[in-house]
Amino acid sequence: MGRMFRLHRIFVAQYMKNLMEYKVDFLTGAISFLIGQIVQIATIGIIFSQIPDLEGWGFNEILFIYGFSLIPKGIDHLLFDNLWSVGYFIVRKGDFDKYLTRPINSLFYVIAEKFCVDAFGELFMGIVLIVYSLIQLKLTLTWYMIPLFIVAVVFATLIYTALKIGTSAIAFWTKASGHITHMVYMTNDFSKYPTTIYNKVVRTLITYVIPFAFTAYYPASYFLGKGEPLFCIGGTVIAAVVLMFISVCIWNRGIKAYESAGS
Amino acid sequence: MIYVNDLRKEFKKTIKEPGLKGSLKALFKPNNEIITAVDSITFHVPKGEILGFIGPNGAGKSTVIKMLTGILTPTSGTCEINGYIPQKNRQKYVKEIGVVFGQRTQLWWDLALRETYSVLKEIYDVPDAEFKSRMAFLNEVLELDDFISSPVRTLSLGQRMRADIAASLLHNPKVLFLDEPTIGLDVVVKDNIRNAIQKINAEEGTTVILTTHDLADIELLCNRIVMIDKGKKVFDGQISELKREFGQMRDLHFELTHTDDFDKLVYLEDFKVTQDDVEIKNEGASVSVRFNSDKISVEDMLSYTLAKVHVKDINVKDADIEEIIRRLYKREVSIDEV
Repeated sequence: MGRMFRLHRIFVAQYMKNLMEYKVDFLTGAISFLIGQIVQIATIGIIFSQIPDLEGWGFNEILFIYGFSLIPKGIDHLLFDNLWSVGYFIVRKGDFDKYLTRPINSLFYVIAEKFCVDAFGELFMGIVLIVYSLIQLKLTLTWYMIPLFIVAVVFATLIYTALKIGTSAIAFWTKASGHITHMVYMTNDFSKYPTTIYNKVVRTLITYVIPFAFTAYYPASYFLGKGEPLFCIGGTVIAAVVLMFISVCIWNRGIKAYESAGS
Repeated sequence: MIYVNDLRKEFKKTIKEPGLKGSLKALFKPNNEIITAVDSITFHVPKGEILGFIGPNGAGKSTVIKMLTGILTPTSGTCEINGYIPQKNRQKYVKEIGVVFGQRTQLWWDLALRETYSVLKEIYDVPDAEFKSRMAFLNEVLELDDFISSPVRTLSLGQRMRADIAASLLHNPKVLFLDEPTIGLDVVVKDNIRNAIQKINAEEGTTVILTTHDLADIELLCNRIVMIDKGKKVFDGQISELKREFGQMRDLHFELTHTDDFDKLVYLEDFKVTQDDVEIKNEGASVSVRFNSDKISVEDMLSYTLAKVHVKDINVKDADIEEIIRRLYKREVSIDEV
């Protein structure tokens, strides 16, 4: 474990050096991200200026859920972004060979190789929204909510990551699965709002099938005092553990099916 | 050291008709075909040997190498290297091997070459002191000093290949797999790389498995060759053996004074031999005859030819290793003859 952390640090350092090699590209990326975020905030502002109340949820509560959703999404984006490349091109081009000829876990290696600094924007936005909405709501958090918050964030992140691992591992059979990952990943947009506003099909989908509701709405509603801790936090933990187990199994079987590419 | 037993790899391939229509059809009603890329290959490599693994393009060389290095899982059969089964103890196993794929670099593309080595040092857990002496050794053998501070993307192909070989040797592997290490390189760099491989093999006793299309690599480096074609092993033995077996083949070349004379040359009938022993090719006035000197002596061949036709220029050559291998590639000889 210690070795993994050290290796991770080294990979991150290399990645950052790499990033600095292309300063223009890095700067352009940072600026375009900033513009994207401003547009997003503006959009939320416009939506909520029209709808002050949504199925019994106030503007600030929605803002809290939205802010909460950005934290696990941002952490996943920060640490596990390279999984996208597995489904889009690493397997198809045969570049996965490299990960299999090193004496470290292939999944760990793929993940550790990239460190997506863009994600700091999401994390920053998320924290701002959470803090702002908490102040507006005048909510007082009890001390044990802090560790519960951390638990919820960690396992919510794992839900994102597990879904990405499982879907990108499909590429070992189909050669490319980026679009499958994309399709599944995009359903996370539903998680930013209370599930009660959706019909039964969508609600079931995001609760039990692609459990993105557990990455934001359920845990957030607990902290807002509107949800059962056992279901909201416990559900997040269970969903993450089950999904991660399935995904790692798919990954490990996928490696055996990996066919490389001609050279 | 390396035991490969009855190794087999099949790929499923979807046969598509051309065009978008064909692709759509394949999507809904796939027409799958099993392709056997590697067909029951068995061989054994003792420690310290340099084995040349050769065969025409698409013969299955890379597939075998990829199974031996743990990248691909065999459909059936086994390979065991240093007591490891690559697919089973992958992480422990790869610590003891070095891999270079000539067509694909394993260096960190955008970073200075030096950085690649320091990352690899961590990945392979090489202690500081060993890393230092190892780098000094590799530097001496592969002359990395000139470009060790340059970003990898700026290296020339020759520099990159040297850097890649050094990267594969940093952790002092017991077995080194080189898949086309001299591809696309100029003569000087090829020489440099061959010397390095030889030196590493001699000084460290590293077992080397090498695939190449450059037959000079084989003649200069390999103790032994294994040749495969269409997934099957067609030859396994010493190069000297190959030469002895096929060394009796001679090539007779000459230029006809009158192109029409060619029809007068009826070697097969006149010497009463089959096509296995005499093979004739002609292109305009230029004629070459490959013949088995055990069946027809060089003297008979020459006097027959000179008696039948007028020639401008004539010479007789031994079939060199390249010729032999070309014949093998073309399946002119089968394994039974070997």
